[in-house]
Amino acid sequence: MAILQRECEILSHEQLSGTTWRIELSAKDIACLVQPGQFIHLRIPEFEEHILRRPFSVFQADSNTHVIRIVYRVVGEGTRRMTELACGDTVDIMGPIGNGWHLPNGARRVLIIGAGVGAAPVYELAKQGQNNGMDVTVVLGAQTHAELVFEKPYLDLGVDVICATDDGSYGFAGFCTDAALEAVDAAKTAGEPFDYCAVCGPYPVMRIAASFCREKGIPCEVSMERRMACGIGACLSCVLDTTDGKKRSCVDGPVFDANEVKW
Amino acid sequence: MVEMGQVSLHVDIAGLHMKNPVTVGSGTFAAGREYSDFIDVSKLGAVTTKGVSLHGWPGNDGTRIAETPSGMLNSIGLQNPGVDHLMEEDLPWLNERGATIIVNVAGHSVDEYAQVIERLENASLDAYEVNISCPNVDGGGMSFGADPALASEVISACRSRTNRPLIAKLTPNVTDITLIAKAVQDAGADAVSLINTVCGMAIDANTRRSILARGIGGLSGPAIKPIALGMVWQCYKAIDIPIIGMGGIRSGLDAVEFLLAGARAVSVGTANFIDPCAAMQVIEGIERYCVDQGVSDVNELVGALEW
Repeated sequence: MAILQRECEILSHEQLSGTTWRIELSAKDIACLVQPGQFIHLRIPEFEEHILRRPFSVFQADSNTHVIRIVYRVVGEGTRRMTELACGDTVDIMGPIGNGWHLPNGARRVLIIGAGVGAAPVYELAKQGQNNGMDVTVVLGAQTHAELVFEKPYLDLGVDVICATDDGSYGFAGFCTDAALEAVDAAKTAGEPFDYCAVCGPYPVMRIAASFCREKGIPCEVSMERRMACGIGACLSCVLDTTDGKKRSCVDGPVFDANEVKW
Repeated sequence: MVEMGQVSLHVDIAGLHMKNPVTVGSGTFAAGREYSDFIDVSKLGAVTTKGVSLHGWPGNDGTRIAETPSGMLNSIGLQNPGVDHLMEEDLPWLNERGATIIVNVAGHSVDEYAQVIERLENASLDAYEVNISCPNVDGGGMSFGADPALASEVISACRSRTNRPLIAKLTPNVTDITLIAKAVQDAGADAVSLINTVCGMAIDANTRRSILARGIGGLSGPAIKPIALGMVWQCYKAIDIPIIGMGGIRSGLDAVEFLLAGARAVSVGTANFIDPCAAMQVIEGIERYCVDQGVSDVNELVGALEW
């Protein structure tokens, strides 16, 4: 699948919490082509001292309106500069890039774990599962209730949503991996175990989820993030160790079979 | 009056015929395939492929890159699948598309460089670039290119295995790059390319850790352009063989500066990561400069620096 490069207008840009922002782009044909779990590589305009693009997984894509939305967290100078972009500004993006989620055709019960802004790259996957008549449970994790910004869009999809906050200010008190493990055990006890799990979030969340999925025999995929330069598979900056040698997180991933990753 | 399309852009690097003076920095372009959504590789003066060793290397552990002011550090470590893979998969692909091909050759020993070239003599390609300048490998690379005698030994060994154009890629991490340039010229190199990356380090004060897993990496991008230009100019005055200039080139004007300093061709490297069409924009920018300046042949610019 070809990677496209397009100048895209910013349609809206909104702060969702202290560190989380949502940006809406008129992404032209990229919006029609993007698959769940794929990302775009965005060049922050007028940011000459910081030369590299920034990769962002797509949160929502609408092939009718050609709109894509990304949700990002401010972690450094690049994302801080991004917050200053205004409606009407244009940004240069490349996409869609990468190997997305592989929702098994025959899956009946799907578990999705999205921790922090890791809840963004799994939204279209949840939608795909829901549209295919699968029973989808989404576990959302955040440090605090204020940082838990994805509950409404997932509730609007009609999937089961379990929220977990590290500080106990909302929903399950504790880590989302513990909430997810409870859901896994409850599903098994009820005789309707999960038969696919997708995880996106900080490295420890994915490692822990991958570990209990392996123990319980649930096929699991994870979305890996590495410092990236070209984003098209040429520079070999973003490699990670897998059972099949070093692989590029940009085009061999970002989604990998959890059993393939050397944790 | 010269118009777009009428400027003669052809350059000859010791028998390597380039339809325009722009190639790509080894390691920034893989073997071209990844850029085929964006660029017709046959339109480049040449494709310079990623450094290739005899049996392939796994490269370094991560983290492998760090963004730094107007540049980036890398510590890839010449990860490559080996010369047989290049010959079976990549060179046929490039040849089918009509690309002019420079193969960058790496080795942990003098003998390995020579063996890689021996293997490649059966393949269809246009020139070799001998990488005696990578700062990110433990054996070979920069350790050869920082010593005139060792640099000479590697180039002599390669020279004895081929009659094809042989380019020595030099490191800036030396006291006097002209000594290395003269040594490789005397050892039989047909041309030199410079500069490879500048050694550097990035530290995260918050975690008190080096960002790169190996600590030291190689700096590239616009941050190193003045260093590269200075070294090209120094070498131009010191040697008689052609120079391929590189280091932070993003635009046609950047490239022209290198030509004026004495380079006969240029490489676009890190800019490929910023914009996958960067090399094409550089070619167009050179032509535009020539049109604006009434230059009918790009070779007129080589070493045309005025005082």
